Amino acid sequence: MDGSVILDNVVMRFDDFTAIEPTSLEIRSGEFFSFLGPSGCGKTTLLNIISGFLSPTDGDVRIGNASMRGVPVNHRPTAMIFQNLALFPLMSVYQNIEFGLEVRGVDRATRRRKADELLELVALGGSGGKPVSALSGGQKQRVAIARALAVEPRVLLLDEPLSALDLKLRQHMRNELKAIQRKTGITFIYITHDQGEALAMSDRVAVMSAGRIQQVADPETLYHRPQTGFVATFVGENNRLAGRVIECRDGRATLDIPGLGRLSGRSGSELSPGRPAALFVRPESLSLSDAVGSAAASMLEAHIETVSFEGAWRMLEARLIATRETVRILVGQGAGDVLQPGQTARFGYDPDNAIVLADDGAPTHDAEMGETPRASSQPAQENRHVPSA
Amino acid sequence: MFRQLKARFGVPVAMAIVGILGVWLIAMVTLPQLQMIDYSFRPSLLPAEIGGPKDGWTLANYVTLFNNDIHLSIFFKTLWSSVFVTLLTLLVSYPLAYYLAKIATPGQAALCLLLLIVPFWINEILRTFSWFILLAFRGPLNEILLSLGLIERPIRFLNGDTGVLVGMVYAYLLFMVFPLYNAIESLDGNQIRAARDLGAGSLRTHWRIVIPHAKPGIATGCIMTFMLAAGSYAVPALLGSPGSRWFTQIIYNWFFEGGDWNQGAAYAFLLLILCIGFMALVMRLFKVGLADIAK
Ligand SMILES: Nc1ncnc2c1ncn2[C@@H]1O[C@H](COP(=O)(O)OP(=O)(O)OP(=O)(O)O)[C@@H](O)[C@H]1O
Ligand SMILES: [Mg+2]
Repeated sequence: MDGSVILDNVVMRFDDFTAIEPTSLEIRSGEFFSFLGPSGCGKTTLLNIISGFLSPTDGDVRIGNASMRGVPVNHRPTAMIFQNLALFPLMSVYQNIEFGLEVRGVDRATRRRKADELLELVALGGSGGKPVSALSGGQKQRVAIARALAVEPRVLLLDEPLSALDLKLRQHMRNELKAIQRKTGITFIYITHDQGEALAMSDRVAVMSAGRIQQVADPETLYHRPQTGFVATFVGENNRLAGRVIECRDGRATLDIPGLGRLSGRSGSELSPGRPAALFVRPESLSLSDAVGSAAASMLEAHIETVSFEGAWRMLEARLIATRETVRILVGQGAGDVLQPGQTARFGYDPDNAIVLADDGAPTHDAEMGETPRASSQPAQENRHVPSA
Repeated sequence: MFRQLKARFGVPVAMAIVGILGVWLIAMVTLPQLQMIDYSFRPSLLPAEIGGPKDGWTLANYVTLFNNDIHLSIFFKTLWSSVFVTLLTLLVSYPLAYYLAKIATPGQAALCLLLLIVPFWINEILRTFSWFILLAFRGPLNEILLSLGLIERPIRFLNGDTGVLVGMVYAYLLFMVFPLYNAIESLDGNQIRAARDLGAGSLRTHWRIVIPHAKPGIATGCIMTFMLAAGSYAVPALLGSPGSRWFTQIIYNWFFEGGDWNQGAAYAFLLLILCIGFMALVMRLFKVGLADIAK
């Protein structure tokens, strides 16, 4: 059963607004693949193109190597889990799950057996006779999954299915979704604007911005080797310091940053001297200066503005004295205890833990977000992804 | 209600409001109806005989219908035709309501609704009469059909029930479209999409998802249309032929041509019972309560 999905130069235009720029991509059979991007970047549009609710302005979708051009929604080997679940409220749990089988003319006994199996799979055994309205949020979620799996799709499409759940349940359902995906071996295409969710569950993630795929990679690579400024700032937190390339050698790039002087890091994209570029340092890669050796080039002086307690860590917000830019620094408890708002401190970083990316004028996540809440304003424990590696 | 009014306006005003309401309900609604019921159970007498030995309660007026084959057949014909009009109106209104609620853009929907409503600013008699002109033997519809070569000689639309059916479907369309529209409009579009996504074709999607959801609206529309159709006078009077008389026309005749109010009142109550029976049946069939319909 080939559940691969190939997007071949897919373009979607609404009147003169291009929602999806030309996109080509291969999603492997049996993969847990996520599209991650801020609101309005075209995730749902892409999912609707795969499921057949929209036909692309140009290009083709192939599922299991068969072109989907002209194949209507009800004949595609996909099943969708809607953001609001869209369970049928006038039907029982059984009737919901059996709906797709009924459509396919499966007889009553087989339908019921299959529904019972699926209810076991989603840990809802024995609830088949209940009306949908009697279920809790998490249970509804499971029924939606069972209903979609009942039609034995080759590809399961999930449109932010967890966003309506509370934090605890959301984390629990993440694990469960991942487990179900492993057990069934079905290709999962998951869309979300929550990077924590995407990184925790996916085999690979495509980061999208304004209708364009920025990078496709596994979570570790996305986090440690972002290819664009957008990815660097959208996936996990990052401090961005913009300047101009001075030299570029042995995988190391040095920038001249106005007010801060020469700073260097690993070079993460094509760079040439004289071109604008930016240095990205994660909050956990910055530390109080005495903790790092004393490489003067990697030193920043800042005025601490806020200290927020986050369990084992403290998040500092500090303003660089030279440029008035705000940086965020994550420090361990020991160091955090002595730091108070109002103090001035020196921070350093190891250039191996910083990355330099070309500044091609494309918006970074912070610049683009506007009124939508920053990922970092959500509960920190849930959102920050600090790979243990 | 009295307590709320009292809290708001004080005792005298509250009493006045409740009093006026009570008088209106009793004097203008209940009493005339009771009077009619009373009439229907008394024989038709000369003024001099009222209160005399011949006066008294009797079922004779009700029995008349069952002893008069012509009237009885018109009674049942009115029933079947009204059911038929209701189904026909439902058939026409459902796609229209679905289109308005789920397919049309807001602009298109607004335009359509306006176009539907505008003709209803015109008096019902005039509207019905315009159908008389359209459907006439030498009227525009026959002209068009003839010139398209679809028929060879003009059809007498007004000579049977066709004119009445067309006129009624048209006259009561809105009473069906609006309840349906309201019901379908409240259906989450993702439900329809989910059904399609699970493999259902559009017929099954309507049958299993849209129609069950719209059931209270369908029931409301059917009840309203049936009652209006069964109680219609203008449409059958204008568009019908002598062979397609409606029960309301017979009631009218008893009152104003036969001068027998007692008989007319009895017939009118039989029609009312028919309507109530139909309503109860529809509510039973659709498993909806009065509260669902009042929405
Ligand atoms: N039918 C349409 N007509 C015109 N523009 C549309 C249509 N559907 C989507 N768009 C536009 O395309 C862009 C992408 O929309 P889409 O729904 O795919 O975003 P999204 O990434 O799913 O966002 P969210 O996270 O908020 O759901 C948006 O700017 C949206 O306004
Ligand atoms: Mg979306």
